[in-house]
Amino acid sequence: MKSMRLLWALLFVALPLASAAAEKAKSIDELAKMYDSSSCKGCHAEMYSQWEKSHHARPLMGVKGGLMLSPLAMKGATAFSPDDPKKATIKNFPCFKCHLPQALISAEDSVAVELTEALLTAADEKASDKAKADAKGKVAKLQITCIVCHNTKAIIHKRELGEPGSNVLYGKKDVAAHPDKTFTSVKKSAIMTDSVFCGQCHGLGPNLEFDQPFQCANLYGSYLHAYIPSGGTQTCQNCHMAKGDHLIAPNFNDDKQTSELLAKALTLDVQTLGYEWLRKAKDYYPKVVVNTKITSSAGHRIPDG
Amino acid sequence: MVVTAKTQDGKEIGKVEKHYHPQATNCRDTKMKYGAQWKVANLRDTSIQPAQPKIESIEFDLPKDVRTVDVTVQLVYEAVKPENNYPIHTITRTVTLDK
Repeated sequence: MKSMRLLWALLFVALPLASAAAEKAKSIDELAKMYDSSSCKGCHAEMYSQWEKSHHARPLMGVKGGLMLSPLAMKGATAFSPDDPKKATIKNFPCFKCHLPQALISAEDSVAVELTEALLTAADEKASDKAKADAKGKVAKLQITCIVCHNTKAIIHKRELGEPGSNVLYGKKDVAAHPDKTFTSVKKSAIMTDSVFCGQCHGLGPNLEFDQPFQCANLYGSYLHAYIPSGGTQTCQNCHMAKGDHLIAPNFNDDKQTSELLAKALTLDVQTLGYEWLRKAKDYYPKVVVNTKITSSAGHRIPDG
Repeated sequence: MVVTAKTQDGKEIGKVEKHYHPQATNCRDTKMKYGAQWKVANLRDTSIQPAQPKIESIEFDLPKDVRTVDVTVQLVYEAVKPENNYPIHTITRTVTLDK
């Protein structure tokens, strides 16, 4: 009888765990499919097209086709790198905190193994061009999709508001009926239009919660501690998502657009003076003085990310 | 930002570079690091801050026989590596010591 009770207790505990584990992706393809937002394109074509060109659509790719995570896959290259690619785990990729947050809740360690192997192949000089391209293509499947922002990261007050609903998207306003098979309603997010929403990933400074600290973006820290104290009133979204733009510029793969955006944020004033400086009696030195003044209208330090 | 002074026949007589960016180490040595996986904390920040104009005064001493130079100020954003850059502003002024 006692052993029966124990068996029932074990089943009771084990079944939900098994079920939760079953929901996790075991491969890059499974994770990509789980967060696939291509169905959004039908009704939100313009936003989707903007997003496709954005860094959110290639969060592991860096700038101009680079693979920013490669050092993490290489043995000994960083404190996080696994000794054996086959033994890679999600913990070997602390960058997932922001660059692939869905992996933290929805991916098995096997996804980290597959990613590590793909990164190594892409960086392997001996690999064929096709193998390298395929590996890169695999990494490119991992994206910060619509679902990541409009569901996974949409609630920060979880003690009060709970976890994001599995069939709910979060946006600027409530939408009672949302014509999608999975996400059947849209609720107003408390933070979607606030800078803190972007600040979840765009950095306060050192990530000290890890067993080996590291520092990526400082941008939200700069916003809070430099822009706000200067009297700034704009949000990230006011400037980077004006009129709902989901490119969320800059797009560093677009040189012209990036230069134009920077020129809009930074003004440069140059004043010059030429004269003859008198070091001592009758000893003149021709001199030119160049006074420069750069003024920023950005809500954060430049550069940052 | 790169400031150059050239004679009117194109000979460079002075060049000054100013680099504006946060600078971090791993807090275990004094070498600056690039790359989030190696950086731990900033130890210096020369970046362009909101609502704080970045003001410089740069002097070029000219050769005694030079009375006129072209001064060019280029403001450029570099991402990932210096070769990958985005021109922001280029301003050229002709400066003469003659009235």
